[in-house]
Amino acid sequence: MSGNPELSITDRDEQNADPRGTPYAPHTADEVETMLEAIDADDVDELFDIGESIRFDGSFDIDGGSEQVVERRLRETLARNDDATEFLGRGHYSHHVPSIVDHISLRSEFITSYTQYQPEVTQGFLQALFEYQSMLVELTGLEIANCSMYDAATALGEAATLAARVRGTSGSRVLVPEYLRPERRDVLENYVDGADLSVETVPADDGVTTPDAVERAIDDDVVMAYLESPTTEGLLEEHLEEIGALVDDHDAMFCLGSDPVALSLLRSPASVGVDVVIGDASVLGLPASYGMGLGLFACREEYLRQVPGRLVGASEDADGNRAFTLTLQTREQHIRRERATSNICTNQAWVALRTAIHAASLGPSGLVSLATTCRELPERTAARLDEIDGVSAPVRNRYHFREFRARVDADAEAVVAALNDDGFAIHAVDEETVQLCVTDVNEHRIDDLVDAVEGVMN
Amino acid sequence: MQRYTQTVWNDGESDGYEPLLSERSLETVEVPDAGLPDDLTRDELELPELSEPELARHYTRLSQMNYGIDSGPYPLGSCTMKYNPKFTEDVAALPSASVHPDRDAESVQGTLEIYHGLQDYLGRIGGMDAVTLQPPAGAAGEFTGILIAKAYHEANGEGDQRTEVIVPTSAHGTNFATAALGGYDVVELPETDDGRVDVEGLEAAVGDTTAALMLTNPNTLGLFERNIEEIATIIHDAGGLLYYDGANLNALLGRARPGDMGFDIMHYNVHKTFATPHGGGGPGAGPVGVTEELAEFLPSPQVRETNGEFELFEPERSIGKVHGAMGNWLVLLKAYAYIERLGGDGLRDASAKAVLNANYLASQIDLEVPFEPFHHEFVASAGERDAADFAKRMLDYGVHPPTTKWPENVSEALMTEPTEAESKSSLDQLAAAFNAVTADAASDLEAAPSETSASRIDQTSAARNPRLSWQQLDES
Amino acid sequence: MEFAIPDGLSYAESHEWIDRRDGVVRVGITDFAQDELGDIVFVELPAEGETLERDDAFGLVESIKAVSDVYAPISGTVVEVNEALRDRPELVNESPFDDGWLIELESSDEPDHLLDADEYAERI
Repeated sequence: MSGNPELSITDRDEQNADPRGTPYAPHTADEVETMLEAIDADDVDELFDIGESIRFDGSFDIDGGSEQVVERRLRETLARNDDATEFLGRGHYSHHVPSIVDHISLRSEFITSYTQYQPEVTQGFLQALFEYQSMLVELTGLEIANCSMYDAATALGEAATLAARVRGTSGSRVLVPEYLRPERRDVLENYVDGADLSVETVPADDGVTTPDAVERAIDDDVVMAYLESPTTEGLLEEHLEEIGALVDDHDAMFCLGSDPVALSLLRSPASVGVDVVIGDASVLGLPASYGMGLGLFACREEYLRQVPGRLVGASEDADGNRAFTLTLQTREQHIRRERATSNICTNQAWVALRTAIHAASLGPSGLVSLATTCRELPERTAARLDEIDGVSAPVRNRYHFREFRARVDADAEAVVAALNDDGFAIHAVDEETVQLCVTDVNEHRIDDLVDAVEGVMN
Repeated sequence: MQRYTQTVWNDGESDGYEPLLSERSLETVEVPDAGLPDDLTRDELELPELSEPELARHYTRLSQMNYGIDSGPYPLGSCTMKYNPKFTEDVAALPSASVHPDRDAESVQGTLEIYHGLQDYLGRIGGMDAVTLQPPAGAAGEFTGILIAKAYHEANGEGDQRTEVIVPTSAHGTNFATAALGGYDVVELPETDDGRVDVEGLEAAVGDTTAALMLTNPNTLGLFERNIEEIATIIHDAGGLLYYDGANLNALLGRARPGDMGFDIMHYNVHKTFATPHGGGGPGAGPVGVTEELAEFLPSPQVRETNGEFELFEPERSIGKVHGAMGNWLVLLKAYAYIERLGGDGLRDASAKAVLNANYLASQIDLEVPFEPFHHEFVASAGERDAADFAKRMLDYGVHPPTTKWPENVSEALMTEPTEAESKSSLDQLAAAFNAVTADAASDLEAAPSETSASRIDQTSAARNPRLSWQQLDES
Repeated sequence: MEFAIPDGLSYAESHEWIDRRDGVVRVGITDFAQDELGDIVFVELPAEGETLERDDAFGLVESIKAVSDVYAPISGTVVEVNEALRDRPELVNESPFDDGWLIELESSDEPDHLLDADEYAERI
């Protein structure tokens, strides 16, 4: 132990002079004394029933610091990140988050609360989550939306285990598109491992999935077919309805990956035969956040008893007023244990609150307008880049959303590195292809980006 | 006695409290084709359209009908509802903290330095050799641990043979559900009458089919498993691994480390032990620490430091990924800030005060606490009263009740964890609430709560007739 | 607490009852079982035509806080399920031996392991 080994607990006064105690405990020395007397103990050490042989007498060798010092240190460390304008997407997107989202979601009553196991005293959060679920019901056209999974990848994993449960004993394969992010596929493989499902690829044709490709891959052994729109490449799938019918013919579940902005524009998934929608709902509510997300999960009502995660429902209180509560909890791990529909407990409720506030703040007209912008920007930006010698964009003549690919007559990695030096981050996809994501947050830098690309290519 | 009445907003028109967004406004907008064929776009979208002032008021009113740690005591057992330092939110809100996950490692050295630093700190705190930060919650950490155990047994050629995970009866439900998600059969291990692991029962239960034993220590009753070294030997001799559920780590900081007790794998609940906010149910983070022998199985990527540069790498026999990116990064960042603020001595002090608070509170209440010596939490019995009713009545005294009816080895359990953040006077108020409810008539308990925004909510009709969206409210 | 245990029915130790009538065997859960579970919110029943072996779990009865499997006291083929329970699961609470029955089986199983009312009363 560094410092005074006799001192096993510090009080508020000492800690001001010698910051060895936690600043987040209110005890004064007198109070500690009184409390120890009340429990008939001489020292706090007496309260620990830990055998000698495993007692830890070392030090973590971590120095504490004042709020000011720690905050400055973290600020300085984070400042080591290159200050780049990101034109990055591939499944992780940013839109401008209105200030009201921070101000409201950081209200103590929301952010310092626990899961709503005592609904009478947590009506506010429950109602906000109920509203979140309702907005997703409108956007997906499906009857049920839960109040969050961790992220898109884990939501995909949960969808597959749901498909396996619904099917019972038959079926052993899950189909995923070629363009699926490897990270998401990897998470999916881990989720289905215990259920003995294998994951197989449906090839894409010019970036999108054709009914033929699905027909070749599917049979009655398939429990779930998964596609995305927009895809990881930023393309909109064009044959979902036909594919949905094919999947249905084989009694498999049709799962679509999307997000609340794209869904504001696209035909509702339910109307094209989609059974489950997953995705990252934090495209509203959070900036990129190094990939921290919010797992969107919505499905048809027939799966109600098999849904993973928490659900908020409406009921009545003893005064006859409408009130909200977590419901159908017998699906969950704390009641059904090894037969639960998922092992999830802690979820992403606070992010769902942020997403709800962001969506409400845009309203339907704002959502549609943002989605329309996401439709226009990639093709408009691609046309600008296409004018540069040595750049051909977009690579595919299809419908883009937020993103597009460009082919470069140079080593793509070298182009990306050179742009990085100019303060722009874009994706290298293969030796000659790059990918760029353009939304409302980087739109004002398009001219500069185009200039930089021109400079790099010449 | 503290007095308390939670805010109630009711516009007198809707049949509930604060009207739903959809009751304030529901607009249908036509959706343009946006250069897409007709069959790819929707025709219209119907959602609430409200101005910012209206929304600010709506959500502020909702927040007033919600109870958080900053409102009052929140002694939920095994949940560790400690104070969430405000400055960590400022750090997490920095634009430089919010890079895209596909940024090149060289261009996000600051982020990776902190990421690496937290891997390192958690390793020291838990006595573990390597740590992954990727699991986004405690249950996800458990799942990661189970996948690591499975990969380890497979690497030893025992993957098919080791089909069972042993879990004590009083364990958190996630332990059972996680083992099942990993494809394991769950073997339940009842506790002894003194509330601890039944060592003889364990000896009988282990064998060459055992993959792992999942334990928390101190256990759900707050008791330290005194036989932990013997337990570790039994599991290891049988070829199984010992898993530590970090739910109760706040009892031990700086006094004992799971790695020193013989645990091979552990998860940390940073939203419990390291004070990141629970956020109404999440996000949390569930980093996993392992011994050197298991480090090669950790999820990918890990962060390492080479000559002052931070880089990502894939462990040799990695289980792959358990989150689509790097985990709940903003939560991890807040945990890092908390650990740096307290330092090693502050963490040790936090545990000391958490244990002192639990012991003091238990001494001030008029209910039986059948199992001791407990540490950061205790389980009181509501005796003849229904623990759920007891909890509802506590709400009327301006405190959040404990976790109820779990574990089952205490009848009508009230599992209570005050944490280090409560002052003596706040503990006295909490005790007064316990004692007032103990003295109240049974009918008062059944009629409670009355001082909260909503009175007792009918759970049965919510489940019999599920209405899970405003669209479904309109249907009925 | 006193629980109804009608004479003339046979009981399983897992708290199901059977009632033989006109070639079919009606199955439900006992008054004791419904009381233990509390307010029942959902009942899951098998499809008509399904074949059950004795002790097969054929359905679920769910309350707010618990879920319980229901086991077939005898072997047989499901010829009818109580459709009323889909909308009114509370019938199992209100009338466990009449309106709250679960399924009817066609069965030639003649078990001797079941209990009569007196024997069952001793078990609970």
